[in-house]
Amino acid sequence: MTTAAQEVVTPTVRASVRRSIFWVSMVAVGLLIVLALALLTRGASAGGAALSPANPGPNGSMALAEVLRSQGVTVTHAASLVAAHGALEETPTASVFVVDNLGVLVGSQLERLQHESDHLVIMAPAYDQLEGFAPEVAPAGGVEGVLDADCDVPAVAAATRVTGDGVGYRLIDELSGAMECLDSGAGVKSLVQFERGDGLVTIIGTQAAFTNEQVALNGNAALALWLLGTSDELIWYETSIVDAAVPGAPTIGELTPAWVSAAILLLGLTIVALALWKGRRFGPLVMENLPVTVRASETMEGRARLYQRSISRLHSLDTLRVGAISRLAVLCGLGRSATVDEVVAGVTNLTGFDEHWVRGVLVDTVPHTDAQLMTISDSLIEFERSVAARLSTSTAETTTAAAPPAAPAIPAPPTPAPPTPGQGE
Amino acid sequence: MAFSGWFVALVALGVVPIALVGEEWMLLVWLGVIALIVALDLVLAASPRRLHFERDLPARVRLSETVETTLYVTNDGRRRLKGRLRDAWQPSAGARPSRQPLDIPAAERRAITTWLTPVRRGERRAEHVTVRSFGPLRIAARQATIRLAGSVTVLPPFHSRKHLPSRLARLRELDGRTSVMIRGQGTEFDSLREYVRGDDVRSIDWRATARRLDPAGGQKLVVRTWRPERDRRVVIVIDSGRTSAARIAGEPRIDTAFESALLLGALASRAGDHVSMIIYDRRVRGRIQGAVGAELLSRMVNTMAPVEPELIELDWAAVPGLVRSVTTQRALVVLATSIDAPGASRGLLSVLPQLTRSHEVLVASVTDPDVLEASRSRRDLDEVYRAAAAERALLDVARVSAAVRQLGGDVVTGAPEDLPPAVADRYIALKAAGRL
Repeated sequence: MTTAAQEVVTPTVRASVRRSIFWVSMVAVGLLIVLALALLTRGASAGGAALSPANPGPNGSMALAEVLRSQGVTVTHAASLVAAHGALEETPTASVFVVDNLGVLVGSQLERLQHESDHLVIMAPAYDQLEGFAPEVAPAGGVEGVLDADCDVPAVAAATRVTGDGVGYRLIDELSGAMECLDSGAGVKSLVQFERGDGLVTIIGTQAAFTNEQVALNGNAALALWLLGTSDELIWYETSIVDAAVPGAPTIGELTPAWVSAAILLLGLTIVALALWKGRRFGPLVMENLPVTVRASETMEGRARLYQRSISRLHSLDTLRVGAISRLAVLCGLGRSATVDEVVAGVTNLTGFDEHWVRGVLVDTVPHTDAQLMTISDSLIEFERSVAARLSTSTAETTTAAAPPAAPAIPAPPTPAPPTPGQGE
Repeated sequence: MAFSGWFVALVALGVVPIALVGEEWMLLVWLGVIALIVALDLVLAASPRRLHFERDLPARVRLSETVETTLYVTNDGRRRLKGRLRDAWQPSAGARPSRQPLDIPAAERRAITTWLTPVRRGERRAEHVTVRSFGPLRIAARQATIRLAGSVTVLPPFHSRKHLPSRLARLRELDGRTSVMIRGQGTEFDSLREYVRGDDVRSIDWRATARRLDPAGGQKLVVRTWRPERDRRVVIVIDSGRTSAARIAGEPRIDTAFESALLLGALASRAGDHVSMIIYDRRVRGRIQGAVGAELLSRMVNTMAPVEPELIELDWAAVPGLVRSVTTQRALVVLATSIDAPGASRGLLSVLPQLTRSHEVLVASVTDPDVLEASRSRRDLDEVYRAAAAERALLDVARVSAAVRQLGGDVVTGAPEDLPPAVADRYIALKAAGRL
């Protein structure tokens, strides 16, 4: 019985914690650094929603909101449709500025907002929104450059020059009392204002003019302040994804109960558990050096393919002939050192084949086609078989009279001489 | 740490409370419950580190035989350990079963049996034991791998021992034969016995007959009997170079050489000859000298067991010196190598004269039955070319064989299963002819 010192290979929990503590702490420090950098550079980044009153970045509109506040306008930031309606109920005379970056609102929702408010300013609405809300107005592509004031809308008149970067609109149908301003050529206007019911609707496409970055250029500030500052209260409504209310059939998300998503998550966790169960190996493998497996006949196969690729018929045939001749020499009782002529004579005598043909097969014929090679190779086998058969019959029939041997079946030998038993040297 | 299938089922079961409560937070509650159960199970599981192991291994086993190994596992801890155990052997040790259930009460010992059926010769090692100890709930397990080395030497199979009885019978026939046919240099006078009908009349010892006058009257003839000479020397040199690594009919050449050497060794030591064996490539990989009887065979198989062919050429120039270091007397030198091509056998041919000058040399080489088969099969063009290549290989072997014979050696070739008896037969023939 052998006893070995016991050494546990698997590390203990404490050991593995100690071993991994360096890397875990490195990752933690790295995360902390990333977090700190993110906090420090947050204000300078271009992140945050465009035209948001809470975004101090270049594409935000915090500057505009702050100036409006300082001018005595109460700016309410509504982050959802529900919040916007709530704010409107509190201050029914407020203007509403709709910033729909996500494009989630539909015409009917804009309609409701318009009904409740005195002045609705819609920033860069899309085609399908306008189709439901004001089908006479349609987007007319992008606009760039500085536009001159060209109408009597007070905001535009006050601005005189406006940064036009954004979207342009065009009236595609008769719309009574519509004012079109900020022409950028070919009838494309960046501002359309019209009255509906007892309220005023302004559709404006100059997004750049309202951003922190460009609000101070040209007459952008005047345009924005005049448009949004018409009332003492302004509801700055920024759409969110929850406003994407679909009035038609309920979605699959609304139909499924709340726990289904949890159950799906659980299914994923079950698969993870399955991987943990099956993936844990039962101890390390034991190494073993295995020998290479080389078949000895590989060289023979390789040489055969070389013969075949280089179509060396004569060389192959000569090899076969040498082998056959040495075997035939032994069979004919001539010994290994017999000459070819002796073997030819011996085969002819024993089998009774035509000597010329035997010599051709054993020595002379040069194979020009594959078929010839095959034929000669078959004849060589036939010789060996016939000689062996002849010898066995002759030894068996030494006592009886030598019967004429049956003519061997050969694949087309050129007129074998009639077998003449007993004919010898 | 490891988990069982029940753990997966437990996780999946969480769908029931989640559906019943119908809230998403139930998922977190369920995960908490699972964590608690797993922690409890792990805490309550017996520690696999508190086990103590002892191995009981047989020292050696013949290839392709099955041997039983025992692992004694003592539970030094205070809790009953239930779980599974893996005794980690190398793949070619053929350990079975590879996973075994384990149930050891505290402070008790159990024997775990593993059967080994090795598929390769040499030293087969076990390195460690892995134990997975499940908690009472069988949800989670503690797992530890404990280093516990062990090894079993796998000996050559000696399949050719089935030929031994018939060859020994042939050897006994040589013994005590009176026939003049076997009288030669290598035979020596054994004893006198009474003439029986059939004895060669030329072996009648007339003087002994005259001396032995039957008192009852009548003359009994006495004949001399002869037996083959004993105490001859047989030196077997096995080539462990690169050509011995090639496989013929699924068996490396070196294994066939081992089989031949074992059969010849068994036979020659029974016949009273001294058998030495050298396994050599560029250094001596194994050497048996001065062993007789059963000890010879056991030493031979033990020496052969770990030897694998090296990827180097045999240094033939050193072989005569090696043989001289074994014996200076005339001996039968059996060279178990390969004679494939004239170029590769140049080393052998160059030292052969030195050996044949003072010894009887027999070169034993394996031939490939595939090659012989290929040279006869010529059904299509591919096979004709293959037959030509096979014929070329056979002619090469024939040329080297002729060269060896010309230099005074003898050649035995055969397929892997035919070579060992062929070598034994040649030995018997040499012995009968008194040429040892």
